[in-house]
Amino acid sequence: MKAKINLDATYVQSEDLVSREIEGELIIVPLVAGMGDMEDELFTLNETGRAVWAKLDGKKSLKTVAKELSAEFEAPPGEIERDVTGLAEELLKRKMIVKASKK
Amino acid sequence: MNESYVSTRDLHDLSLWDKMRGKRALTSFDLEITARCNNNCRHCYINLPAGDKEAKEKELSLEEIGEIGTEAVALGAVWCLITGGEPLLRDDFSDIYLSLKKKGLLISVFTNATLVTKEHIKLFKAYPPRDIEVSVYGVSKESYESVTRRPGSFAAFRRGLDLLFENGLNVRLKAMALRSNLHEQPEIARFCKEQTKDYFRFDPFLHLRYDRNPSRNAEIMAERLSPEEIVALEQSDPERFQALAEGCDKLILPQSAYPPGNHLFQCGAGTASFSLSYDGLFRLCPSLWHPDCVYDVKQGTLTKAWQTFVPQVREMRSESREFLDMCRKCPFINLCMWCPAHAYLETGELDAPVDYFCQVAHARAAALHRA
Repeated sequence: MKAKINLDATYVQSEDLVSREIEGELIIVPLVAGMGDMEDELFTLNETGRAVWAKLDGKKSLKTVAKELSAEFEAPPGEIERDVTGLAEELLKRKMIVKASKK
Repeated sequence: MNESYVSTRDLHDLSLWDKMRGKRALTSFDLEITARCNNNCRHCYINLPAGDKEAKEKELSLEEIGEIGTEAVALGAVWCLITGGEPLLRDDFSDIYLSLKKKGLLISVFTNATLVTKEHIKLFKAYPPRDIEVSVYGVSKESYESVTRRPGSFAAFRRGLDLLFENGLNVRLKAMALRSNLHEQPEIARFCKEQTKDYFRFDPFLHLRYDRNPSRNAEIMAERLSPEEIVALEQSDPERFQALAEGCDKLILPQSAYPPGNHLFQCGAGTASFSLSYDGLFRLCPSLWHPDCVYDVKQGTLTKAWQTFVPQVREMRSESREFLDMCRKCPFINLCMWCPAHAYLETGELDAPVDYFCQVAHARAAALHRA
């Protein structure tokens, strides 16, 4: 079941994981049980995911993140918003992000 | 859009390994957080008594270990093995474990399981280790305690192991094949394979003590199996022997496989990992204790050790004709325990041949040829 995403809400990377960049590769290491399907698993993000992940700082709403990315990548805002929503749904489902504030 | 933004990867499937191939890049390290142990195993290469005050005082503090972890992560380490001695002897084990874990390291723990408590279980369940590896010295009180020399240790081991299994933790088992438990090896293998379906290994190769203590070394040598016994044991495990036979072309090398020159180190020591002793001594591999190959991180930094000291050690060369004509060119080197580190522990020299290793390697090679 998909998590419900509010584009006006602000999300932040969970404190239950550590994201690291090694040899140019983003690796997300879960610290606690129950994030991955198996304990030995790590997470990686695709290119779109990495761009969004870097902006999930708990200060910007998803709408602002989408707007910034749309400008950076010169892509239609609707398309970027769909990507941001899609990623946030996945991250929320895996408890990799948490809501930073309620709007 | 159907594409998944998030992928899960097993440690071995990360593309960064391809990028690191051929380079010297830190991926893992072993941390001996204590040399003390509550057991007193006959074959142990490191253990000091659990109550050894001097050893305890020299142990790296939680803060020092935290700093080492931070530097190791900055250098690119992904995985850390917490080992000992018996790591659970340290009162601050949980803090050390969490400190390293929270830096984004995958953690493995080597333990004899005798000191596992409900608090450890709670910790491991909340913050799972990559794996916990437990040594099985015997499956009866008699053989287990003839190795550990501590009454009550078998019951403590079974209790700890049961706790780990009952709580679904990822446990791996290993056995040492010793003179004291040789008679029980089939039962040990059966026990381990019943408990863990995916993984079991046994090791008949005993190396000598890090502290080169002569009387303890004599005890280790008394526990060593003969070359014939080692071969027979390997042959009794069809899976293991088949793997050896199938890898024969990689294990027995043609002369052309040896690069020219007189470098001592042909192995991977210091290319992707390092070991750190309980008192802060950095080595390229756990057994490499020659004074010229040891760096005290308390007097310097881990970064300096990794970036400057390791290349110096790997540049070391030998002028010994005996070494250059024998071990340096031996086609059986991959079947042999010989390496500069083990040569030093046996003889005090990094480039001296070791008769026992030579006999074992030749016996293994002969068995493979027959197969």
